[in-house]
Amino acid sequence: PKITYNFLFKFLVIGSAGTGKSCLLHQFIENKFKQDSNHTIGVEFGSRVVNVGGKTVKLQIWDTAGQERFRSVTRSYYRGAAGALLVYDITSRETYNALTNWLTDARTLASPNIVIILCGNKKDLDADREVTFLEASRFAQENELMFLETSALTGENVEEAFLKCARTILNKIESGELDPERMGSGIQYGDASLRQLRQPRGSAAQTKQQCNC
Amino acid sequence: MHFCASTQRTGLSPFWGCRIDSYGFEKPEEPHEETMVEYLTILSRRSLKWSRLLHGNDKVEKNMKVKRYVRKGVPKEHRTLVWMAASGAQDQLERNPGYYSSLLESEGDAKLEEAIRADIHRTFPDNVQFRDSSEECLQAALYNVLRAFGLHNKEVGYCQGMNFIAGYLIIITKDEEKSFWLLDALLGRILPDYYTTSMLGLRVDQEVLGELVRLRVPVVWQLMQKHNVMWTLVVSRWFICLFVDILPVETVLRIWDCLFYEGSKILFRVALTLIRHNQPLLLQAKNLPDVCERFKQITHGEFVGDCHCFIQVCALRGLAC
Repeated sequence: PKITYNFLFKFLVIGSAGTGKSCLLHQFIENKFKQDSNHTIGVEFGSRVVNVGGKTVKLQIWDTAGQERFRSVTRSYYRGAAGALLVYDITSRETYNALTNWLTDARTLASPNIVIILCGNKKDLDADREVTFLEASRFAQENELMFLETSALTGENVEEAFLKCARTILNKIESGELDPERMGSGIQYGDASLRQLRQPRGSAAQTKQQCNC
Repeated sequence: MHFCASTQRTGLSPFWGCRIDSYGFEKPEEPHEETMVEYLTILSRRSLKWSRLLHGNDKVEKNMKVKRYVRKGVPKEHRTLVWMAASGAQDQLERNPGYYSSLLESEGDAKLEEAIRADIHRTFPDNVQFRDSSEECLQAALYNVLRAFGLHNKEVGYCQGMNFIAGYLIIITKDEEKSFWLLDALLGRILPDYYTTSMLGLRVDQEVLGELVRLRVPVVWQLMQKHNVMWTLVVSRWFICLFVDILPVETVLRIWDCLFYEGSKILFRVALTLIRHNQPLLLQAKNLPDVCERFKQITHGEFVGDCHCFIQVCALRGLAC
């Protein structure tokens, strides 16, 4: 049977090559570690329906190739994303140093209001760590990002990362900070919401029109 | 990073089980036995004809007869020779003796090497010849060819996708130097500016395909407009990987026969054929993710698995274009 949902959020997974973006997505959707597969070319996507704060939300997640030059190809998918996982590899300083560029891309191409969670992936490889938790959390704070260290291998914090991002978007909708009806918000009402929303919204618009007269 | 011993020339391991195809790939699905028997018959007939055509010669002329021969498929045992001759790679190799080895010995570029290394283990994990555990592992050969190419063509360097292409070249030629020159023919001449930093050639060709679809399969073009799907979303992998890891191995090799002989127009023909043949399925798509899913679906199944028939359809449709 078709699952009904209240909202649909468009998510991106971005970050440098080899940070484990596809593995994070795979772990989130399939609940297991994706071993032995070719790296991503262009864009792949997956989706999963989750429950957040009493609402059913369908996450439509776009996973992108990480190599620098693919940005000229992948940037076109950024448009209208509501949330993003910005991924670096805690064992690679280089992937951490590239974060600023990715961040600029996401905010200028997707939306300035995009909700981003920074993910320090490969948490299980602590012995090879090149980026400390502390400096990454400072970076996150300075750039108004949420932050978690994750492991696509063990699954640690993977679910949390996606859910945290979704919950924040939901809160912003409820507080009025985000308007799902704005073009390119990356948010759509699902069929479950439409039933409740269409009626009162229509009459509200009518009232407003009358006021303008 | 650990690489297995370098192998300039690699033989095929004789110990493959029946689930591994003759190129070392795990078979996702068994082809129909009938189709297989039919194709084997075709192959042996083509093999005879090609042997007669070449009779020990290593030159491949460009004329209608050879073109017809190429479209009907180059037999495995002649593939390296025909690709080398038709693409001009053989000329380059002969004109530049020792060039490849000098690249291997030349001082590296740490950034380039790092980028290549990151992908070596993510190239064909479904192929026994590319596994760490394999006796004559091709990972070292792949690394060498990609590194040499990056040093040779600095404008391209290394772009993801090249690993799949070089991987196929190594599987077929079993020779690093030949793979290097074939890669040079493809990236330097046949597909200029596909893999450079701007990827301009690629982006142009994706738009050209969109334009061709608008003219030849307008209903699909309208579908894409309706759901606001950019061509790059559904076809960038087709162009970047030259159908590697998208269509069945044998079908890809048949496409490459034409690619080396006739140039990049075969890529458009294949793409158009896939789209046109699957119109009804594509048109059922209800939203953007659905469109993407269906564009994936159309690269599987009997139509693309029967490579001989598929290429004929592509070539014929091409004539009508």
